[in-house]
Formats: sequence, C-alpha cells, structure tokens
Amino acid sequence: MSDQPSTLLSAFSRKAHAAHCKLCLSGLPASQIDVDGSRLALAFYCLGGLDLLGVLEEEISPRNREEWRTWLWTQHAKGKYGSGFRPGPFMTGRDPRISLQDPADYTNYDTPHLIMTYTALLSLAILRDDFSKLDRKGIIAFLRCCQRQDGSFSTVPGSNENDLRTLYCAFAISNMLDDWSGVDIPQAVAFLATCRTYEGGYGQSTFCEGQGGTTYTAIAALGLASAVTKKEYLTRSEKQVTIEWLLRNQDDSGGFRGRTGKEADACYCFWCGGSLKILGAESLVNSEALATYLSRCRFKYGGIAKAPGESPDPYHTYLSLAALSMYPPQVHDGNSTSETWKFGVLDPLLNAREETVAWIRSHVPDRKVHS
Amino acid sequence: MFDDDELLFSERPEWSDVTPLEQYENLNPLAPIFYTDEYKDATNYLRAIVKSGEKTKRVLELTENIIKQNPAHYSAWQYRYETFITLLFPSSPPKPSKALATNPMVIAELALMDELAVRFLKTYQVWHHRRLLVALTRQPRRELGFIKKSLEADAKNYHTWSYRQWTLAFFGGAGGGGGVAVESSDENDIDFEVGEDLWAGELDFVDAMLAQDIRNNSAWHHRFFVVWGCGVREGELDRERISKRELIFVKQHISFAPNNPSAWNYLRGILRHTSTPFSSVAAFAEPYTSSKESISRDNIVDLDNPRPGEGAELPCSEALEFMADVHEAKTTEEGVNSAVEIWKNLATEHDTMRKKYWEHRIRSAHRSLNTATNAA
Ligand SMILES: [Zn+2]
Repeated sequence: MSDQPSTLLSAFSRKAHAAHCKLCLSGLPASQIDVDGSRLALAFYCLGGLDLLGVLEEEISPRNREEWRTWLWTQHAKGKYGSGFRPGPFMTGRDPRISLQDPADYTNYDTPHLIMTYTALLSLAILRDDFSKLDRKGIIAFLRCCQRQDGSFSTVPGSNENDLRTLYCAFAISNMLDDWSGVDIPQAVAFLATCRTYEGGYGQSTFCEGQGGTTYTAIAALGLASAVTKKEYLTRSEKQVTIEWLLRNQDDSGGFRGRTGKEADACYCFWCGGSLKILGAESLVNSEALATYLSRCRFKYGGIAKAPGESPDPYHTYLSLAALSMYPPQVHDGNSTSETWKFGVLDPLLNAREETVAWIRSHVPDRKVHS
Repeated sequence: MFDDDELLFSERPEWSDVTPLEQYENLNPLAPIFYTDEYKDATNYLRAIVKSGEKTKRVLELTENIIKQNPAHYSAWQYRYETFITLLFPSSPPKPSKALATNPMVIAELALMDELAVRFLKTYQVWHHRRLLVALTRQPRRELGFIKKSLEADAKNYHTWSYRQWTLAFFGGAGGGGGVAVESSDENDIDFEVGEDLWAGELDFVDAMLAQDIRNNSAWHHRFFVVWGCGVREGELDRERISKRELIFVKQHISFAPNNPSAWNYLRGILRHTSTPFSSVAAFAEPYTSSKESISRDNIVDLDNPRPGEGAELPCSEALEFMADVHEAKTTEEGVNSAVEIWKNLATEHDTMRKKYWEHRIRSAHRSLNTATNAA
C-alpha cells in the first residue's frame, strides 16, 4: 500500500484549515476550559498553523496582527524571578497599573511560565514583532530561577512540576536569545540522560516510559545544545536504537503512535517525525503512508483531529501541518492538487517555519552584543 | 455539573465580605474562552483571595469548586496546597510525619484526591498534588493500592504509571530523584514508612497486569524499571540469576504471543543492558522466523527456548528483524548475506511500512562489508 497511495489524496482544503485556526483564535467554547492555564500555547498552534499554510498576511489584517501583538505583550511580566510570559490573564485581576511601558509586577500566583514563554516568543515572531519590549536579561534570570538542583526545569519558579518539555523550552529560549548563560547545560543534559529508556525513547521524567512527545523534546534539546557546545551527546549506537524505536512507531495505519503498542495519533507524526528529521533519518520515514493517515484525520469542515473520526483541535491541526511540511507526499497528478499539499519549510529544532526562525535570529538576540 | 441549589459565590452570604476581582482581558485577546457564569464567579473570588492572601478553610471550598470545573488550573492547585499546609501547620513549619495520616484534614484531602484522580485521570495537576500530600504523610503503601485500582479504569495511563514509579523510587530507598524535595534536615525524627520491602509485590503486580494484557507496554516498561532501572535490592543481588530469570520470562511471553513488540523490546533491552550478544538467544528466536507449517512439533519442553504456541501468526516480523541483527553482527560476508535476505523479505512482504528502512539497512550493511574487505 505504501507505493502509490498518493493518487488517493484529495486536495488539501487550505482555506478550511485556516478557518479552523482563525475560529479558535476568535474564541473557544466553555467546554475547552482546561486550556485556560495554557492559552498562549493554544494561540501559538493557531498562529503557527496559519504561518505554515502561508496565509497569515492575507487572512489577518495588519490592524488585527498589531492588536494581537499588544495582547501578547500584556502577558509579559517582570518581577522577582525575572521576566517571561504568563499563560494568559486567568490570574490577572483588573488592575489600572498594568501597562506596556511598565510590565506588571507579579505575585507567586501569576508568575511567567516557561513553556508559555517559549510559545509567546514564537507567536510574536510569527506576527513579526520587533521585540523592542523584550527584557532579555530578565528572561535569562527567569530561566535561572526555573532550573532545579537535578538539572531539570520547573514550569513556574518553585514548582515541582518538571519534565523534559520544560527543559526543551529553556534550551529553545536560550537558542532564540543566542545567550545560554541562564542554563547549566551539563546538568540539564545529565538529567535528560536519566530519562532515556531501554527502548531508545525518552520518558517524561526519570524512570518513566518512553514516549514520542518527550522523545522529541529530548532529541531537539540535545540538537540545540550541540549547536552551541559542538559536542555529540549520543553515541552512534544510541542514535541507532532511538531511530529504530521511532521508526517502529509508524504503525499499519501509516500514522505514528506515541508509545509501543498504542494507537496512532496525528500529533505523534510530528513528535516522532521531527525527532527522526533531527537525527538525520527523515529519508527512512514512509512519508506517503504518513500523509495518507493525516489526510484521514482531516475534519471535513476544516481542522485536523488526533485520529480519523475524532474532532479537530488546533494542537493536532498545527502538528499535522508541521509533520506534512517535513514529509510532503509526492502527489504526481500534474494539476493543482499537489500544490495544496505544499507547506512552508519547518525548522525542526525550534518547531517553526524557517522564515519565522530567520526573523527570530535577526530580532530576538541582544543586538548590543551581536552587532 | 452543578446541583440546582448550588449558589454562586457572589450569592453566598458567607462570602459577602470579599470583593470579587474580575479577569483583565484587554481588547481583542487571542483565543478568549467563553467562560460559564459559574467559572467566572468562582475565579473572580480566587483572584480576590490570592490578592488578600487569605488562607482559611473556605479557600479549600473555593479551590475545590474551581478545580472541579477546570482540573488544569494550576494556580488554584498551588494556592489550595499552600492553604492546606497553613491550616495543617498553623504554628510550625511543615514537617512530614506518619502521624499526619490519621489527621482528619489529611484524610479528607486524600479522599478528594482519590475521587478526582478517577475523574480527571489525564490531568497532570491531580497527580502532582497527590505527590505533595504523600511526601508529607509518608504512606506509600496506600498509594500502591490506589494506583492498582486506578489502572483498572485505564491500564495504560501515563500519569498513573509515572506516579507508581515515583512512589517506589521516592519511598523505596533506591535511587530517589523522583522530584519532590522535602525537608531533609531532620529526617531522623521521622518514622518513615520507607524500605525495600515496598518493592516486594512489584513483579507479581506486573505479572497480573500482563495477564490482563500481554501487550501493555507500560507494564513491560515497569518491569524493566523494577528489575534493572532503579537500583538492586536484597534477594536480587545475584545478577546472573536475575538475567536468566528475566530471559526465561520474556521468552515465555513471546511464545504466548509472538507478535508483541513490547516483549521483543524488553528482550533487546535486557541483552543490551547486560552487554549480552543477541546471538546468545538466536536458538530461541530462529523458530519464530519460519512459516507456520515448517515448525516441528515435539513434546520436549525447553524452558530456554520455548517454541511458538499453536496458532501463532508466523513468521513474526520482530523475530525476523532480530535474526537479521544477529546475522549482521557476525560481520562476515555470509552473515551479511543472510541478513540481507531477511531484510528483503521484510521490505517486500512482512513489514512493507518500513520498506525504506530495510533498504537502508541493506545498503549500509553492504557498505560496511565493502569497507571491511577493502581494509583487509
Ligand atoms: Zn495527539
């Protein structure tokens, strides 16, 4: 089946998927209340989706983009643990002191959040912000406050909630700032190594089962660190074992699963596919089968779901687009269908479109140091 | 979600002394949530309480209400924990102790967590709060029982298994590093329920889980964690005996259900962990690469090399892959040829999904063979 499934692919209705992203940006039903504490991440998935579809400028007015940038900056907070972004205003009361010129001082209950800071920087870059309001020193101080004794990072200062996602975000932020002085790389890498499992994947934390999502964060974090330390963190055979495990996770449906023996899920097409790309094994992925699976996850009115027949959401929509951008199917129909399956090129280490990463490179680092 | 007679906090006389604090949303926000009136109402009071710093009994009621509406509200959890600690230790710094387990407040909190863990099985914060409580009460055995029950609802739940691994590592005296830091200065006065015997039932527990579902990778992973991943306990010191026991265990389970990637991964895992060459189990794996008809049926039971069970779907692609690795490792031309033969089989017939990968293995095996020949 893997030889010629491409002929079965129907046109990718880019308008409909863009509409799904736009709809979620305009508002979410009360049933999605559980994203209240991670709204910035959801916003990133929607904006990232529009970015990969290449429709941000045509679909979103300049005024709208400006207002969104302003809103994102109101989540920027400065205080005793340094600066960063909050998940949203869910703990922010009406307060006349809040203004852009003078970021609100936070309490222990509305501090910046490490994962949200990563997604905010990406979102602002997608919206082509000039980052003139970024408190770079403050962010470095914040990273320092989040790193724990064992080398891992907490989501918010002082919390015990720590796993490989936060470690990856700390590394990604350091990479964006081109300043690694906020993190202790050797300690972090030592923690990361304790999350490796006998299967070749990485668990969420020490002793946990190998899982596609946390494996991506581990592999991407090592990739980001390698770029600055010039060190290889995995032996050839370790890499080999990880690649084999990742490839085995592509099941008969063509989609990837997150753990051995589980069902395929659209998001793991990105998490496993992205890991394989970083490990230089992208040519070994069955990209035709992958696209066939993701095409079945499409919801007919737009958006992509975790599995065929499920409801779409921005998380699975964005990650599916990101996976397709790395693994585009070969559609040889010679007409317009093949065009609809082309997406912006993705930088697998930062998980953003290459143009957006280029914007980050030229706007996020401290120019005083790098000019 | 609410009883008809449940009042909003703004309608309750006992909350009339608090001025609710509304969320600051600004113009044109990204992804605003259309909150229900109940959620708006309760969080208005939470913001007000956090601002005033009140940590009283009614805050537990308020945060419980919010958590039940949004179990991922990590600030509500955080404030609840701090309030709980303030109420539990009104005049002294918090200190773990076994005696806490009989405290009515603690009992009530754990009972609520039992209820919420089942209701919000997939929410990180539910498990996180539990860790904090148990680090105080030091009653890990109760947790192991609770986890066992909660896996009945979802046998592969990631948080539940992680929590079991954390509980064992944190209280079982082997390795630790599970994540919660508790005052260590005066550990001597604490009557810990800590000890290696906490681990005593783990292998039976894994057996029971695998008896329900032999393909439950979480259970296989847990076995690896118990036997190899987190220290060596008394009774397990003879590692050669343990290796042998584990090999017999995994081979038997492969013979019950050969097409089980979890079991094959466990086999590879043990061999790598103990630096044992794959070839040492070639005699076991070989029969699983044959087609059904060609297997000779005899009545000899060989514990070291259990045969595929009757009705097994053969050949098994995991076994093919395993034997190809064995052949390739011989680094002889003959070995590589045998491996290539198997890879071709996998690519064209038994595992076409990974066709590109098998072709890659063929290319790289030929390449390294050529390099070796040229060097010689
Ligand atoms: Zn998913």
